[in-house]
Amino acid sequence: MNYPIWELTILGGGFWIALVAVVHVYVAHFAVGGGLFLVLCEVKGYRENSQPILDYTRKHTKFFLLLTMVFGGLTGVGIWFTISLLSPAATSVLIHNFVFGWATEWVFFVGEIVALFVYFYTFGKMARQKHLLIGWIYFICAWMSLFIITGIIDFMLTPGAWLQNGSFWSGFFNPTFWPSVFFRTFIALVFASLFAIVTAAFLKDDEVRQKMVRYAVKLMPLPFILMLASAFWYLYAIPAETRTLMLKVSPEMSTYINGFLTLSPVIFLAVLAMSIRLPRGLQQSAALFLLFLGLLYMGAFEFTREGARRPYLVHGHMYSNSIRVADAVSINQRGVLKSAKWTRFEAITPENRVEAGKDIFQLKCSSCHSIGGVMNDILPLTAKFNSVFGMDSMLNGLGKINNYMPQFFGIRAEREALAAYIVEGLHGQKAPQGVDYKPKAPAYEIPPHKADDEYVLLAWNNLGMHCISDSDPYWILLPPANDLYAQLVRKGERPQIVTEGVTLHYRVEKGFENPSKHVRFWEFAESLLGKKLPLNSGVSGNPVTDGEMELNEKLKAFEATLVPVVPYPDDGSFNPYPLFTVEAVDKKTGKILATGRFVAPTSTEMGCKNCHGGEWRVAGVAGFTDETSADVLRVHDRINGTDLLKKARAGKPLLCQSCHADPVLGTKGQQGIPNFPAAMHGWHANYLTDRGTDACFKCHPASATGPTGCLRGVHAGLNLDCTSCHGTLADHALSLLKYEKEHGKDVDRLMRHLEPKVVASVEEVKGRIPWINEPDCLNCHVDFQKPASKDVNGFNTWTAGPGELFRLRTDNMGLMCESCHGSTHANYPATNMYGQERDNIPPMQYQANNLPIGSEMNCRLCHTKDMDMSVHHPNMLHKFRNRQLMRVKN
Amino acid sequence: MTVENLIPVADAIPVSWGWLYFFLILTFVLHLLFMNVMLGSAIMAFVSDLRKTDAWLSRDISKKLPYTIAFTVNLGVAPFLFLQVLYGQFIYVSSVLMAVYWLSVIGLLILLYYSAYGYAFRFDKMPGARTFFIGLTAILGLVVAFMFTNNMTLMLVPESWQGYFADRSGTMLNLGDPTLWPRYLHFVVASVALGGLFQALLAKLRKTIPEREKRISQGMQWFSYATVAQIIIGFWFLITLPREIMFSFMGGAGLNTAIFILGLAGAVLALVFGFTRRVWPAVVTTFVTVVFMAIVRDLVRTAFLKPYFQLSDLTLVPQYSPMIVFLIALVLGLGLVAYMLNLAAKCKQEAK
Repeated sequence: MNYPIWELTILGGGFWIALVAVVHVYVAHFAVGGGLFLVLCEVKGYRENSQPILDYTRKHTKFFLLLTMVFGGLTGVGIWFTISLLSPAATSVLIHNFVFGWATEWVFFVGEIVALFVYFYTFGKMARQKHLLIGWIYFICAWMSLFIITGIIDFMLTPGAWLQNGSFWSGFFNPTFWPSVFFRTFIALVFASLFAIVTAAFLKDDEVRQKMVRYAVKLMPLPFILMLASAFWYLYAIPAETRTLMLKVSPEMSTYINGFLTLSPVIFLAVLAMSIRLPRGLQQSAALFLLFLGLLYMGAFEFTREGARRPYLVHGHMYSNSIRVADAVSINQRGVLKSAKWTRFEAITPENRVEAGKDIFQLKCSSCHSIGGVMNDILPLTAKFNSVFGMDSMLNGLGKINNYMPQFFGIRAEREALAAYIVEGLHGQKAPQGVDYKPKAPAYEIPPHKADDEYVLLAWNNLGMHCISDSDPYWILLPPANDLYAQLVRKGERPQIVTEGVTLHYRVEKGFENPSKHVRFWEFAESLLGKKLPLNSGVSGNPVTDGEMELNEKLKAFEATLVPVVPYPDDGSFNPYPLFTVEAVDKKTGKILATGRFVAPTSTEMGCKNCHGGEWRVAGVAGFTDETSADVLRVHDRINGTDLLKKARAGKPLLCQSCHADPVLGTKGQQGIPNFPAAMHGWHANYLTDRGTDACFKCHPASATGPTGCLRGVHAGLNLDCTSCHGTLADHALSLLKYEKEHGKDVDRLMRHLEPKVVASVEEVKGRIPWINEPDCLNCHVDFQKPASKDVNGFNTWTAGPGELFRLRTDNMGLMCESCHGSTHANYPATNMYGQERDNIPPMQYQANNLPIGSEMNCRLCHTKDMDMSVHHPNMLHKFRNRQLMRVKN
Repeated sequence: MTVENLIPVADAIPVSWGWLYFFLILTFVLHLLFMNVMLGSAIMAFVSDLRKTDAWLSRDISKKLPYTIAFTVNLGVAPFLFLQVLYGQFIYVSSVLMAVYWLSVIGLLILLYYSAYGYAFRFDKMPGARTFFIGLTAILGLVVAFMFTNNMTLMLVPESWQGYFADRSGTMLNLGDPTLWPRYLHFVVASVALGGLFQALLAKLRKTIPEREKRISQGMQWFSYATVAQIIIGFWFLITLPREIMFSFMGGAGLNTAIFILGLAGAVLALVFGFTRRVWPAVVTTFVTVVFMAIVRDLVRTAFLKPYFQLSDLTLVPQYSPMIVFLIALVLGLGLVAYMLNLAAKCKQEAK
């Protein structure tokens, strides 16, 4: 925020640091270990009184001087130059805090140079003991450099008490200092062997060559083993949380860690193998290849160490993008543009959005992400986002659950501008034109009813906002399944709910009889649900059409569970409101006693594709493409270490709830894993903060401007929305997560960044079991009265059990709530975009208006006379309150 | 956005700025001397090889160059460190603005260095290639010096930093600055002078060397003529400075004027000793001149940055113990260096 950014694209994302650092660090370690090797070699030469050994030592010294002093020394300065260009703020922290550490290191650098020059230029000229002493001085100076730089490098990984006291010494002798010093000392000795093998392999005299190669080989095993031991110590000196992040969370760290682990035995054995006598040319090639493996080894280690710091440059003090931890809050309040010194814009406007997003990209992302280059290329990472919304949501959740990246700090408009830059600027996606979806209203007939008919058949579906996922080849979270209900009332002064002597049959609207033609559920049912299903039959065996309903004695209602209807009629269109017709038939006479018709909502407008890539599959408005389905699994696999995509591609897709328990499907799931609604809402709430109902609409088919518009009931007509009963997504998620947490599930990472909106704190949120503990109608309609005001909220007081749920509750006389009020989210008077009264067919049939059955004191319908007591529930005998919603059959 | 708003917030310093300033000037003078000798010698050797005369001179230089490069780089590290501590918020910015050139300095220096080793190790074996090696070393030295002059001046002119918004690719140089060329030449010509003086001094020190007198007079000749040019370029540099800054060295400000006059007097004296071929007095007066001129250089920096910053603005969060450790290490290190050089010198004498 403080410094200008050197704008790099292909060579961005820390490319220069990686390049300069890895080669420098390799040579720099050689400069330490090689110093000791020189002395040992010289001693050996003296001891064996061997001129060839001394000649080799001198030759090796020349190579050593040219490599370490020239290349090593200058690339060392090069790292300093590079970091000050790419992360000046962090460089400044290191320089200002450790200026006298660096200065002391510089003294040893002087010592190294003088010692090495003297050693080389007096080789064979100076008295042996004194010359050896110079060699030892060189080695000690070089090792002291290592000692000091290690302190500063590991300060960045584990600053320890420095974070509190700012003390040089606390920062220097930090928690990983000593293991790191030992590790680097030993790896330096190992590298000394690698380099020595190369120079020895280039000796002309065969005998001396073999002898010196073997000597170099002999010096490797002990430091190698000690190096591995100190690597282990190093790893466990890193605080547990950081270590977990590094080993388990950071996505590409495993490449480096595995690289290090794989190369360890390879290098060890390859060095030993070098003692085999080989022809000169082969030996030279092998030695050079081994040297290259050493470079990879160093690179794997350095990338691991750097990666372990994520999401920081200086752990706990400064993020990877040079934002100080202490400044994050203020940047969130003031915004990036007002906080940064080096940006062209003060604020986001519609005109500058993409350009300002570019500035924000440079400020926040470019330190780690190249554009089209080798370092964390942003292009493939963001290619799936085909909308600014999706990218923006990704940025919204960045660094929260998986905190290997910093969060996005800044204001909302800036985050959107960044998303727009990535989606529109970098990927050239066009800003979407608002799709103006106008569904046709399919014709339907309202079954006739005459005042002197003997029966009233009330039928409904009991799932209001019903989605299914037709992502069958990859996974499903809800199979095609609607629950149909009906209650048959025999009219009379004392009407009766008929449960005997009748059978109830249902059939689906024409065109919906063959769902297996439209979704691949039946192909994969065995893998998804553990049993083969006959085509067009549902999980409980009920067919989609021409089925018989069963009596539920407890509810005094007939039901047909899990009827597999899908929103795709045979004409290729999308219609999420197929109609079911129910007929009550006299068992003895076969006479049709009554006919009812109602909507069974079923939508595939489940917007996973908004963030997971892909398009709608059907009619441009709904359904899963394979691209979307696969990406969902890809992300799940990456985050949780599963192999669901592989399984799916092998023809074994799974039901999400087979691992994640879910009361609605009755699955127990796997132990320790959060239940399905908690996991889904908890995860996505982190990516969809502060969006009100928009957050709901992106996944559920509730938006009035979407192709389903499933929020159809009286409450929608009164401009209440999802949040009126359920709270915002954050509230909703927290209530689910809290229950899981209270029952021992590890959901902290999902919860730690969520803030409730309806209540003041997470402490106040009451945990709940999904589908069982739901907002109770009586929270607002206290004693069935008019709510106290429009601001009351249904959130945070839950039904105690299934019996209290609107969809399963009965009144005082045994009628189910939904029989008169219609199904959840479509309570009468409802408005349906596929035909205004499509959801109101039963009231239209029986009372020629769209109001709840029996409203306007229409007791006559069943009682055949007027009544004066509120026997079904209190406060029922009055005129319908919201008369603006009332429509009468014409 | 205003210029002030572009200047980053500086981090706190651990010891009083006076200490850091002292270390900055001290190590910078040492770096400068080595750099001058290195670049000057390389230019002299290149010229001499081009003319195909005085092979003894270039052979001599070829052996010394690797050392002088090593110590130039090494002694450059220290003042660059202290510069960042005191002026980080300026030097980091200017470095980013010219990032491509600035980073290329590392690659160029590596080439320069290896080329100098090529010159040293192949001097007699490959006489054809040696002019190429020394030419490359000298030219790269001039290029690197130009980059340094750009950065050291660009950091002083936040008014020019706005150019970043037109082009953020790190390819800005400070070419519009009227002080750039005279300043650059001031350092290059000083290098030639010091290169000459160094040759004269070496000959002076080595009593038995063949053609010792010729070497001395030739060295002093390089020194003297370069110093004449240097004084002229110095005045050119002076008049390109902003008026206010220029006048501060011409009576406008007591301290500035005094130090400048001392430096100038040193230069004139050195010139006299140069033309009269008195090596040691010339060395001493030159050293004094370099010290004063290094201070003048810093006063110029202070004056340029005055509208935005002065060193006393830096926040001090005192922690003196690391500095004490540094001073102890420095004393021990210098002792060790002296011991090793002594051993080497003795060994050389024994070899003779």
